[in-house]
Amino acid sequence: MALTQVSVAFSGAVALREASVSIAPGARLGIVGESGCGKSMLGLCLMGMVPDAAQVTGSIRLNGQELAGAPERVWRRHRARDVAMIFQEPMAALNPLKRVGETVMEPLMIHEGLSRPAARARALALFEEVGLPDPAASLRQYPHEISGGQRQRVLIALALACDPGLLVADEPTTALDANVALRIIELLVRLSKSRNMALVFISHDLAAVSRATEQMLVMYGGDIVERGPTAQVLAAPRHPYTQGLLGARPGLENRGRTPDGRRKRLVTIPGTVPPLFDLPQGCRFSGRCGQEFAPCARHRPQPTALGGGQEAACHLLSPLHAGRGAA
Amino acid sequence: MAYFLIRRTIGFVLTLLTVSVVVFAVMNILPGDPALTILGIEASEQALENLRRQLGLNDPVHIRYLNWIGAALQGDFGTSHSFRVPVSELIVERLPLTVSLAISGMVVTIILALVLGVGAAANHGKPGDWGVMFLAQIGIAVPSFWLSILLILLFAVTLGWLPPGGFPGWSDPVGAVRALIMPTAALALVQGAVLARVTRSSALEVMRLDYVRTARASGFSRQRVLWRHVLPNALVPIVTIVGLQFASLVTGTIVIENVFSLPGLGRLIFQSISNRDLPTVQALVMLFAAIVVTVNFIVDVIYVFIDPRLKART
Repeated sequence: MALTQVSVAFSGAVALREASVSIAPGARLGIVGESGCGKSMLGLCLMGMVPDAAQVTGSIRLNGQELAGAPERVWRRHRARDVAMIFQEPMAALNPLKRVGETVMEPLMIHEGLSRPAARARALALFEEVGLPDPAASLRQYPHEISGGQRQRVLIALALACDPGLLVADEPTTALDANVALRIIELLVRLSKSRNMALVFISHDLAAVSRATEQMLVMYGGDIVERGPTAQVLAAPRHPYTQGLLGARPGLENRGRTPDGRRKRLVTIPGTVPPLFDLPQGCRFSGRCGQEFAPCARHRPQPTALGGGQEAACHLLSPLHAGRGAA
Repeated sequence: MAYFLIRRTIGFVLTLLTVSVVVFAVMNILPGDPALTILGIEASEQALENLRRQLGLNDPVHIRYLNWIGAALQGDFGTSHSFRVPVSELIVERLPLTVSLAISGMVVTIILALVLGVGAAANHGKPGDWGVMFLAQIGIAVPSFWLSILLILLFAVTLGWLPPGGFPGWSDPVGAVRALIMPTAALALVQGAVLARVTRSSALEVMRLDYVRTARASGFSRQRVLWRHVLPNALVPIVTIVGLQFASLVTGTIVIENVFSLPGLGRLIFQSISNRDLPTVQALVMLFAAIVVTVNFIVDVIYVFIDPRLKART
């Protein structure tokens, strides 16, 4: 699946600006950024589920087929079968009136034309595959009867039901306890490998992305500001925003007290994300960036290749401005 | 669940008991002497006194109440003063018509409301939505008796398609159905308008929820998402209103049966009140109350079947 120069706008407010992403079969891609950076919008673009009010431009290709601007009817054929998605709130994402087995059986019966017993057998196999304890009993349970981690497993089973080539996971672990989140990440990685299924893992949790993915994108204000192999980007971030994001991580190394005895404060990125209709014209990060200089506010930085597949869109890294602020 | 049913049943009995006290008290406070009504104003004081004693009207109030309740529990509602037959006979004779009218009215109301309400929600903010809401607003504003008169003018007087009123009896099924079409429509259009608005707003609320997005992400058609995922979850407030509406539908039959001259319970209660026919009025008010309370009881049980989360809590 490939997005080329895809933009999403809501009457003047740009939620996504000329994003290009391509996802190879079996690849695992992380998308990182703060709330409102456009990462969820990117995920929805992959499902054709951008809100009706949005204008989408650019090209969205799935196995060579152009889907940008395709009607709902066309998209529907690909959802669940080619691209599936799981969402942030497993508590709210399951129909509370249906037994979770029925929920997973529904796409099997509708899309694959399976009979009820056949669909039930498949749902049971899926429940085993996603590691639900006592899968047979789980089939008959209602969402309110199982825990958050189990609900997310049910949602993963639902997403896998029609054997999609790509699974988009939008903040799948944010609402879960840390240890449960970890096991969900392990499950997603294992499934991606065993089924050769591509995984797009959207999160603001850098640790989760580092565990789940091989490649990653960093987004800010609707722009992709940095991308590259996950380990490399996290070890040597080049864009000031990525550096700020890594610095803002609460971790053991930031704990404790400073030499003069004061408690260490968590480093934060100064300011807040500006609203979508009030983003700076040039680099979206200008205004909050500590290393800002002349061109930042006016000109949009183009991605600069940094070797090893890593690239970042920052004027500091551009050959045109070589030597500026190379701290 | 068993605890829930027991609690509900106790509530059901207590409600009916309260209703019986109120009905009895009101009927006894009302001015008018049944003996005078039966014998006419020219009757002698002696004859009136004899009849009063015979009807038990001179007994203390609580004795009269207990006598009435005791007999009613055995199915004996006394004898109608104006019809001179047992009240239970009157009820058995007229109940089928009123029940048919109320049920057909309710069914048409529900179908109308679900189709229009869900359709409006699916087309939220588009002309279809505005159209439905405009019609619903008119439906809410129009009184059913006036709508009945308009229907009679159009379909009976001008077009001649349907009878303007009256009821041929159940031995003529086609005629019976034809006689019920307009009364049903008059009841259902008004109630359906209210319910359509409730359905629309409830469906809109559910459509925003995450599991509806999950259903869309599963590649289901719009119709499937609407009817299989949105509607069942939108049902709880709809069922609540349906329960309340059934009560107003039953009382609505009083007006409708009079407009269309249908020999049902509604017409009977109206006539009995004019005739100071105490036993009949008491029995009918109790019956209407019992119907309404029963329907509310059924509604409470339906909730539990709609939403498995309630079963855990009851």
